[in-house]
Amino acid sequence: MSDAQMKTIKDMPREDYFVRGHGACPGCGVAVAVKNIARIIGSDATVYVPASCLIVFSSLYPTAAFKWPFLYTAFENTGAVISGIKAAYRRRGKETTVIGMAGDGGTFDIGLQALSGAADRNEDVIYVCLDNEAYMNTGIQRSGATPFGAWTTTSPVGKKIQGKREFKKDLGAIVAAHGVPYMATLSIAHFNDFLKKVQRAKEVKGFRFLHILTPCVPGWRSEAAKSVAISRLAVETGMWTLYEIDHGEEKLTYKPKMMVPVKEYLQMQGRFRHMSEEDIQKLQAWICEKWKHHYYEEIPVPPCELEKGRKDLITDEDPLHGV
Amino acid sequence: MYEVRFHGRGGQGAVMAAQALAEAAVLEGYYAQAFPYFGAERRGAPVRAFARIDEDKISIKSQIYEPDMLVILDESLLDIEPVAEGLRSGGKVVINSTKTPEKVDLGVEVDCASVDATSIALETIKAPIVNTSILGAFAKIEDIIPLESILNAIMNRFGEKLGHQAGVMNSEAARLAYERTVVGRCRGTRKLVERMQWLPTWDELPPGTALPAKTIDGVDVGPGSAWQNFTGTWRTSSPRYLKEKCIRCLRCWFSCPEGCIDRLDDDYEKWDYRYCKGCGICADVCPVQAIEMIRGVHEW
Repeated sequence: MSDAQMKTIKDMPREDYFVRGHGACPGCGVAVAVKNIARIIGSDATVYVPASCLIVFSSLYPTAAFKWPFLYTAFENTGAVISGIKAAYRRRGKETTVIGMAGDGGTFDIGLQALSGAADRNEDVIYVCLDNEAYMNTGIQRSGATPFGAWTTTSPVGKKIQGKREFKKDLGAIVAAHGVPYMATLSIAHFNDFLKKVQRAKEVKGFRFLHILTPCVPGWRSEAAKSVAISRLAVETGMWTLYEIDHGEEKLTYKPKMMVPVKEYLQMQGRFRHMSEEDIQKLQAWICEKWKHHYYEEIPVPPCELEKGRKDLITDEDPLHGV
Repeated sequence: MYEVRFHGRGGQGAVMAAQALAEAAVLEGYYAQAFPYFGAERRGAPVRAFARIDEDKISIKSQIYEPDMLVILDESLLDIEPVAEGLRSGGKVVINSTKTPEKVDLGVEVDCASVDATSIALETIKAPIVNTSILGAFAKIEDIIPLESILNAIMNRFGEKLGHQAGVMNSEAARLAYERTVVGRCRGTRKLVERMQWLPTWDELPPGTALPAKTIDGVDVGPGSAWQNFTGTWRTSSPRYLKEKCIRCLRCWFSCPEGCIDRLDDDYEKWDYRYCKGCGICADVCPVQAIEMIRGVHEW
């Protein structure tokens, strides 16, 4: 990369490679993530998208929103197809960034074997998992990424069972276990962190994995305007942790000053509306374990008292946050 | 056979409206069916739904091309779709509009009931979901199904799915709409929008069905051609930018899912309202309240 390191979003190029006029829902988290990845990666890339919301809203036949060469086949083979694209370019002696952008269904469940294969062979590609925590494209079915307690059409709310009974699969650990050169988790609310990680992914050779939490307005039953705020709260509550593993070296890239009770996160989303106090405590206990795992810090259950007079999260002054 | 075609936007509940109407018809002793148009609908995108009512069993399963009745949940669809296409002579129209029927230009002159369903929905169910209000207006202009049955169907359908309270609020919306509906005749001066008919055929595509970026018959296809989809018609509220407050932090520019915020050379912003879907993220992430959301489709 010839241009200097981009440190803040002020340094980001203006040129869009994911253009206006795509058909995503208003407030779509996937669109925010994809659009900014495209800006940061720049002109020279080829993208593959399996069955997902992204393929539907980015390519309303005969138009397409990506300005990059663009391929689409089946649901389960993102890892395999991007390996193949890279091999074809190598054969032709062309150096280019090959990116696969799959949803959580196409990564956690259906595409896991192809992902594992590509990671195992250390293919020189970027794999992006756009995690909206259910199969949203087909109308909100539960996936391995759906959090505990969440309503989906296949984990409905009934008299005996309310929402999903299993906790979210730790995909980051699965990918890290392959010993890939670079993997990171991203949030659309932590702009500069996002920028740094996508840039790093572009530089590194070998298999790179970016895992992004992308709020889904209809699936999470949330307000369109709150997609970014929810992402931020996910990090502050510990539902989502921001870290990277760069050639074996694990590093936290952002640590909340204080753990916000998960209740605040749940309240913003209709998919958790039914949750009983008992279930919330169960989820909270799970988060506290996760918190301990990532931040090496014990949090008693139930966690920290509700913060009184906490400032709006958006104005905090962490250098990695915002601008 | 009595056929109704619903035109709405994803999230307005056109499908639920069609189902509730069919259920009301069944309560009246008719046979009925209701189904949506199967496509890649997203929230805010134009959608269609259909309902058929008959005294005998209905065996036809196709979409409705020549409806007796059009139910239009969003007036702005008239500008982007040939909504009145195929409407039978003597057909009728129900439209969600703040205008009186005489001021609505549908493209064909027919009997028309207009109601400000958005305001009623905001008043009663506190959300711009207009499907139940519009059914109240339907009962006013068409006597095939009386209001009582429509209210019962709404209670059944919404009460069962969303809880008793939702059923009560939604039937209240329909009742209120019935009272406020104005019946008249709409104008027919508008020329119907033409649907884009052109698509490449298999022999126009190179092997592997790759579609290169090119222009055919004045239409761009392939990579980057999505700019032709002006999604700005989806929005129900619009962001207004107060430049004097802006600190040029670029949060809105980064967070806009549409990418419809132009970042100018001096890092001030400019909105491209042709694409803005009005999600409100820009106003939400702005740390200095330099962006405010105003209800309605506006440009500044």
